[in-house]
Amino acid sequence: MRALGIDPVGDVRATFRALVDATARPGTIQSTPTAPADRAVLATLVDHEVGLYTEDDRVADALSSEGRLERAAVADADVVHVDGAGAVDLEAVSRGTLKEPSDGASIVYRVDALREDPAASRLGVAVSGPGVPSERTFGVDGLTADELAAFEELTVDFPRGVDVVLAADRAIVGLPRSVDTEVR
Amino acid sequence: MTDRGESDDDTLRTGDGVDAGESSTAAETEAGESTTGTETDAEDETREGLESDGGVSEPAPSSPGVAPESVDGLLEGVESAGIEGYNYAYLDEHTKREVRRATLKAIAIPGHQVPFASREMPLARGWGTGGIQVSLSLLGPDDTFKVIDQGSDESVNAANIRRLAETTANVDPTRDTTAASIIQTRHRIPEEVLTDEQILVLQVPTTDPLRKVDGSDDRNRRRHAHQNYSKMWVSLYENVVEWDEIQIGAAYPVLVNGRYLMSPSPIPRWDTPKLHQAETLFLFAAGREARIYAVPPHTDVEPLAFEDKRFQRERFPEACALCGSTDTYRTEVETDDGKRLYACNDTSFCEKRQRDPSIQKAHHVDRDVGWERLEEPAVDAANDGGEGR
Repeated sequence: MRALGIDPVGDVRATFRALVDATARPGTIQSTPTAPADRAVLATLVDHEVGLYTEDDRVADALSSEGRLERAAVADADVVHVDGAGAVDLEAVSRGTLKEPSDGASIVYRVDALREDPAASRLGVAVSGPGVPSERTFGVDGLTADELAAFEELTVDFPRGVDVVLAADRAIVGLPRSVDTEVR
Repeated sequence: MTDRGESDDDTLRTGDGVDAGESSTAAETEAGESTTGTETDAEDETREGLESDGGVSEPAPSSPGVAPESVDGLLEGVESAGIEGYNYAYLDEHTKREVRRATLKAIAIPGHQVPFASREMPLARGWGTGGIQVSLSLLGPDDTFKVIDQGSDESVNAANIRRLAETTANVDPTRDTTAASIIQTRHRIPEEVLTDEQILVLQVPTTDPLRKVDGSDDRNRRRHAHQNYSKMWVSLYENVVEWDEIQIGAAYPVLVNGRYLMSPSPIPRWDTPKLHQAETLFLFAAGREARIYAVPPHTDVEPLAFEDKRFQRERFPEACALCGSTDTYRTEVETDDGKRLYACNDTSFCEKRQRDPSIQKAHHVDRDVGWERLEEPAVDAANDGGEGR
């Protein structure tokens, strides 16, 4: 992962801790040690054990040079890398089964910006559910209300669903399937 | 007989390496000088084996080829032959990725048991291998790590796990609950209130609470899929009919986020309410059964109970004999002179209380935490445990 400027042990561990905090406390903004955060997340989670869908050739090349790349179509991928709204047909993404819901995909979604203040952003999001004391809000640029609704749609029959990580620059926000989101 | 066999093995192994060859020669010469032909060949061989073995485990640069003669010398070799050659935090990165992916899925689906490829660890499965894998995939050089085993920091298993993390991951060890950023634990949740800066890693021997009503893992996973927990309820009902009380000591089954039935690992009932709407992330890891599951902070965790048979915590007839606590989990211990007394199970907090009896469980946080002030249930109280959740 040095090809991406990411230390394969220290940076990856710090990125994982950011992911843990982001998933356990949905709606909070966590920071990764390297930018862009979506590449850091992929470098942390992806190897040949999981199918990856990505259009980002730099990530694909870096993974491939370490023998860690196993490409998959959107419908079969365990990790789906989305670069901007509308780049991927979210309906096709795997949501696991009732018996093995953890087979549902993780979506790493690159957006333009993430902010704590929803009013300062183009889309304000309110999050509630496990990990959230009552409700938490954050703001995002580069994600449409339709895409947010599509995430919701994918988790209607919880525990099936997908787990989303929004990433911009060094910031990430986790939207695990257990939470409800609303446009604010 | 066994000794002989082992030393033969060692002699064979030492033949492979260059260093070993040297030390073996040195040992031979030494042996030749010090013996006057009275020792049998077999004794010579054994001695060579032992001595050259020392040479292998300690390729000390200061004294190449000279076998250490004392136990202390051997131990020194083990300590200095440290960690070079191992990856940071012992696990290889491929293993960490596997554990990390499972951990994130577990947090995303509270209470669901996520399978993962559990690796061989340098201790037997069932001794905390799952907990170690999760801890080591989390730990970084800026972390402070505490390990407890049944409330004690000093048990052999806890001390060894802590030392593994200390030597391989460079973390600061601590015994103070409030100072730790990650706490690995077996069978207890510490008495002091945990904060949102901390992660608790619990070792789990048996993952599925349904296993005691049905031995088939496949059928039980189907039950979890459809949230069909009727068999568990029947089992609890039978318990009440037979004993007039729900007779579950540790690992009291809980419903997480209103969806998944989960075993909180064999923590006493006393600790169960601490999982409900906590500030802390709880990770549960079973190395032998290769499962990871989680309770995120601010998540509902309800012990299964009936309207007229409420969940109850343990009752203790006496205060702690060491610190006088009446609001901690106590265990009956027998002293050397045969006396029986009750003492706090969480030794680190008990020691704090012995120094300052007024210290509260929430002394370091400025929040109102529900469970730490729960009133001590009266010994002979009826089933009206108001602390129900």
